[in-house]
Amino acid sequence: MRAGEILAGLFWLVLAAGAAYAGWAMGLGTLRDPGPGFLLFGIGLIMVGLSAGVVAAAARAPAPAPGTPGPWAATRWPKVALVIAALLVYAWAFERLGFILSTILLMIFLFKAVEPQRWWVAVGGGVITALLAYLVFGLWLRAQLPKGTFFD
Amino acid sequence: MDIIHSIGLGFAVALQPVNLLYCFLGVFIGTLVGVLPGIGPVGAMSLLLPVTFQTTPEAAVIMLAGIYYGAMYGGSTTSILVNIPGEAASVVTCLDGYQMARQGRAGPALGMAAFGSFIAGTAAIVGLMLLAPPLSRFALKFGPAEYFSLMVLGLCILIYLAHGSMAKALLMAAFGVVLGLVGLDAITAQPRLTFGRMELVDGVGLVPIVMGLFGIAEVLFNIESVLKRNILKSSISGLLPTRQDWRDSAGPLARGSVLGFFLGILPGGGAVISSFLSYALEKRVSRHPERFGHGAIEGVAGPEAANNAAAGGAFIPLMTLGIPPNVVMAMLMGAFIIHGVQPGPLMMTQKPELFWGVIASMYIGNIMLLILNLPLIGIWVQVLRVPYRILFPLILLFCLIGVYAVSNTVFDIYIMVLFGVVGYLMKKFGYEPAPLVLAFVLGPMLENNLRKALILSQGDFSTFVTRPLSAIALLLALALLLSPLIPRLRGKREAIALEET
Repeated sequence: MRAGEILAGLFWLVLAAGAAYAGWAMGLGTLRDPGPGFLLFGIGLIMVGLSAGVVAAAARAPAPAPGTPGPWAATRWPKVALVIAALLVYAWAFERLGFILSTILLMIFLFKAVEPQRWWVAVGGGVITALLAYLVFGLWLRAQLPKGTFFD
Repeated sequence: MDIIHSIGLGFAVALQPVNLLYCFLGVFIGTLVGVLPGIGPVGAMSLLLPVTFQTTPEAAVIMLAGIYYGAMYGGSTTSILVNIPGEAASVVTCLDGYQMARQGRAGPALGMAAFGSFIAGTAAIVGLMLLAPPLSRFALKFGPAEYFSLMVLGLCILIYLAHGSMAKALLMAAFGVVLGLVGLDAITAQPRLTFGRMELVDGVGLVPIVMGLFGIAEVLFNIESVLKRNILKSSISGLLPTRQDWRDSAGPLARGSVLGFFLGILPGGGAVISSFLSYALEKRVSRHPERFGHGAIEGVAGPEAANNAAAGGAFIPLMTLGIPPNVVMAMLMGAFIIHGVQPGPLMMTQKPELFWGVIASMYIGNIMLLILNLPLIGIWVQVLRVPYRILFPLILLFCLIGVYAVSNTVFDIYIMVLFGVVGYLMKKFGYEPAPLVLAFVLGPMLENNLRKALILSQGDFSTFVTRPLSAIALLLALALLLSPLIPRLRGKREAIALEET
């Protein structure tokens, strides 16, 4: 947990330094006429201080006792990673394959990947969900859902 | 006479058939998301925001407001029947509500939660009607320095109430401000942090951020472990509380309504904290505090009244000052702006039909909720039986469609997934999303008012401390930020710190 805390703090520290630098580069202006980087620079500096404090506190904290479970112990993190990957692939395929086909594939994957269902449940559920969603959002509520450029 | 005329105008708007329909949809969907663990009012509001594009601003805000206070109603059902709060404001209802259900008194617990919510919700609307007009007139005297300091105070209260490390909460608020600054600078039109992407010129969208942090992250967190639910199998009968139940609950209902309403007004405060404080108050004033935690109906009535009254009170800072006091109100503010309405002190005079129409619709919505909740509890129980393995793909799909429908760009889906992952990791490492989202919404206003105040005072920073209201707000904010340095106050903060979602 301590290593994770330090890493997280370092991540924010880098981000904060980047924000402060971006603010500086944009121009701070003067107190009478603050520039576009004025607040960004100030907030960036505050974040640098806070994230350095988080890192220091994590580094000073006593090491966890041997056998203490880490944040990823007894979790199904590979399933989480699979779902994230599926969402990214879906975003990539969304306008290429169109809403209906990409949604059917995503639903089948989600029904099978996390708590595996029988094939007919996954496929049937995927098709019905995608078609109903298209009916409600695409036709009834007139959301502009893509038809797919792949088949053009 | 003026207020009677205004209320009449409000009811004329709220009773239009289309507005009644949107009010019903709002409270129905709100109750549903309140019942379902894993999707809260913020997620549901962002999901349905695109649906409101085709409607009038009145119908849009009436529906979105209905989702908020409807979720407050619905959240108690899962607390009582499953011991899992549907949303954060119902956490405390689990303590006595679930115990009552185990003793075979689920009916009176659900009934009292519904009646208590109705009474408190109605009381809050009356308070809103009486307090909003004078506060709006007073707010017209505020300058940029006052607005800046009030926003800082609001953020500091939310940071103070955040669960866990205050440094982390402060860091999240600062990150939220940075995110809010992405896009064109309002004064010089210079692009900031856009990295050459055209999609970022208008800034990062509120909906993908909220959906990512609250919708996707919640699903990822739930997938990580197996969610077990034990729904009480016994049939629920006799929803009407007994005369003794009413006698026991009268005081808690009254105290919860007043406490919740005033805590709801405070920037950064809200339904969650008021429900916990109401529970603590009732336990303290009770002649039999030992009954609390073992099925005392006062432990259901007080907090349920408080969280619903707070939901009503929270509209005051948004509609009179234009400052959203919590994430849900920030979302509602987004809806106002999308529909070309700027919430604030001028809204009451420039858009009276919207202002009073929304207030009147809340009264009608409360009646709908009472009618809806009591007979439909059986249906909500059935909804609870839908397994999470079926539910989570649907929640993900709704998030994906919702985000795409707002902007019609896949870029926002990537942003949402990115913030979903960030939100998931934040949850793992004890960083709270609520200060981030509120600061994201307040960020551009904060900057605008800071720069305006400095320009008006010719670069004199003392303008923030020489103006009395601004000085008081900043002093309070400073006191809140420094309070954890005093061990006794730190203990108090940890006792009331909650995840405000």
